[in-house]
Amino acid sequence: MNIDLVAFLADSIKMATPLVFAALAALMTRHAGMFNMGVEGMILCSALGAVTGAHYLGSVWGGLFCGILTGVVTGLIIAFAHLTGKTDLYLTCIAFNLAATGGTVFIMYLLTGEKSTTSGAFRSYQIPNINIPIIKDIPILGRIISGQSLLTYVAVLSVWFVWFLLKRTRVGLRIRSVGENPKAAESVGISVTKIGYISFLFCGVFAGLSGTFLSMSWVTFFMKNMVNGRGYIGLSAQNMANGSPIGSALVSLLFGATTSIATTMKSQSKFPTEFLEMVPYLATIIAIVITSIYNINKQRKIEQGGK
Amino acid sequence: MNKTQRIEAIMEVVRILAGMAIAYLVALLILIAFSNDPVFIVKQFILGPFSSPRRIGSIINLAVPFTLCGLSMCFMYAVNKFNLIGESIFMLSGCIITFIGLKIGANMPAVILVPLLLLIGAAIGAALSFIPAIMDRKLNANVVVVSLMLNAVITQLAIYILRYFMKDPGISFIGSHETHAAMQLPTILGKMRVGSGVIIALIFVAVISIIFFKTSFGWKMRIVGSNPKFATAVGLSTLGISFAAQLAGGALAGVAGATEIMNSYKRFQWTASTGHGFDGLLVAVLAKKNPILVPFGALFLAYIRIGADVVNTSGDIPNEFISVIQGIIILLVAAESFLSGFKNKLIYRSVQAEKAGRKDK
Repeated sequence: MNIDLVAFLADSIKMATPLVFAALAALMTRHAGMFNMGVEGMILCSALGAVTGAHYLGSVWGGLFCGILTGVVTGLIIAFAHLTGKTDLYLTCIAFNLAATGGTVFIMYLLTGEKSTTSGAFRSYQIPNINIPIIKDIPILGRIISGQSLLTYVAVLSVWFVWFLLKRTRVGLRIRSVGENPKAAESVGISVTKIGYISFLFCGVFAGLSGTFLSMSWVTFFMKNMVNGRGYIGLSAQNMANGSPIGSALVSLLFGATTSIATTMKSQSKFPTEFLEMVPYLATIIAIVITSIYNINKQRKIEQGGK
Repeated sequence: MNKTQRIEAIMEVVRILAGMAIAYLVALLILIAFSNDPVFIVKQFILGPFSSPRRIGSIINLAVPFTLCGLSMCFMYAVNKFNLIGESIFMLSGCIITFIGLKIGANMPAVILVPLLLLIGAAIGAALSFIPAIMDRKLNANVVVVSLMLNAVITQLAIYILRYFMKDPGISFIGSHETHAAMQLPTILGKMRVGSGVIIALIFVAVISIIFFKTSFGWKMRIVGSNPKFATAVGLSTLGISFAAQLAGGALAGVAGATEIMNSYKRFQWTASTGHGFDGLLVAVLAKKNPILVPFGALFLAYIRIGADVVNTSGDIPNEFISVIQGIIILLVAAESFLSGFKNKLIYRSVQAEKAGRKDK
């Protein structure tokens, strides 16, 4: 078995992109105090929205726009059910993901007559890959960093944007204060509901970008259940990083790398594919265990130090 | 029960029925909007499930796993832990009891084999739901995320066992060898061809109802779920009780998987997750965590599922739309503010009337 290390690293970045967006989406609502599992379904809907938009508007950018729009709309649906309808957030998200799984297949069937993929019926559009001028000529680094999808670079900028939004702007401060202590925030005149909606709005944009990447960059069509737990993995990534945007991106990169290893092995070895399919999920569970133990130990040390 | 409580209880029922009715109407609207022959399709959807004794029987057969999974989720939901591991327990339990049944069941009478396999299914379920439960308790890891990740892993494990250890090379699809007659539950009720798994389901409904409402464990569990602070304050072991409830829920999901294989299949042939865990959650939500009401929720779900299947085969609407309807039902029934204005108005009015009555005296 031979592995091309450069190609592997480039592939890891590619695999990590939808996870970074998913993590950022989950992060936005997390800071407003909401554990949003609906990210999974939102990404799935956006992936379908993007290819549908691109097909009917006839352009890549139309697809990108529709993908983001779908993300925002689905986010607002969850926000409405939870914030205005006062439904338990877990139940809302489980119900929404369930509806998204079947609903996307249903809509795909109505539009194309197919139940598994849109590749036959819809023209495929791809978000362009970008070659960064000077960097692309650096020997090894160029092949890894340059030539990725435009959305991958958007993901990098988004990490910075989210950090800036949360730490340096008034909206960010309000979102965090609502997440830390909703009653205190309410008492100084911040509307918890309004801030909740705003955080879901941002969450929707990132979920939309994640979905668009999957159906217009990773592959160029929509496939039944194509998100395959990436929303949950992104959610766990930001949980492990304790809600830090940069940390979430790094953890996502790690998960991207494990997925990349599994995919490479699938094509090169006779190892049962079932076990390789498990890798991203097992990696997530193991990572959750490790970070939890680390956090608990840290907490214990702080408590002992306090005595 | 005072007047306010009575209104609350009645409104709870009204809310559930209204939620089901609205979701059902949405389903009809979808059919009307997207079908080329709406009248025929709507008629098929509503009456199709009752059109032959065979189809009525299949509603009941479908309701059997829904009931057992609903009971399983009642335990999880009762202690407010959305441990969704039941989804994959159902599949792995079905897989392993088929494997064991094929190995040991050749000369065993059904009276011994069936309970033995149910017990094995329950053990598998309890063992698997132990993982997210212990991670939730000791590591403070989110039980929903952990159970969903584990679902993906366990589903693949079941497929692996099927493909490498159980596959019957003589058939055109991926499936195990045919199971022995002793582990195929006989059908009852003549033409309807209802599997006798329905008896297993009803026994469990009775037993779980007794546990919920007549034992101290059931009482403690309901306290822990409805008011954890109070439970801690009166000295209940909140963690222990929610842990035990999750194990019981897992065991029931295992029983559900085992029953489904023995009731409706001659081979183990699932190559993808079956969705029963989520169906169980829907049933538990519809039944408001009350085990006695679970079979009714299960029958309703089975009815709309069979309706969707009829529409799928006889018309142009794919049956996936039913999962959208399921989502809407969960949202409406679980939404606290759905019809709450109306309820508050009723309570307000009754209190006002009572006051007026007192003044008159």
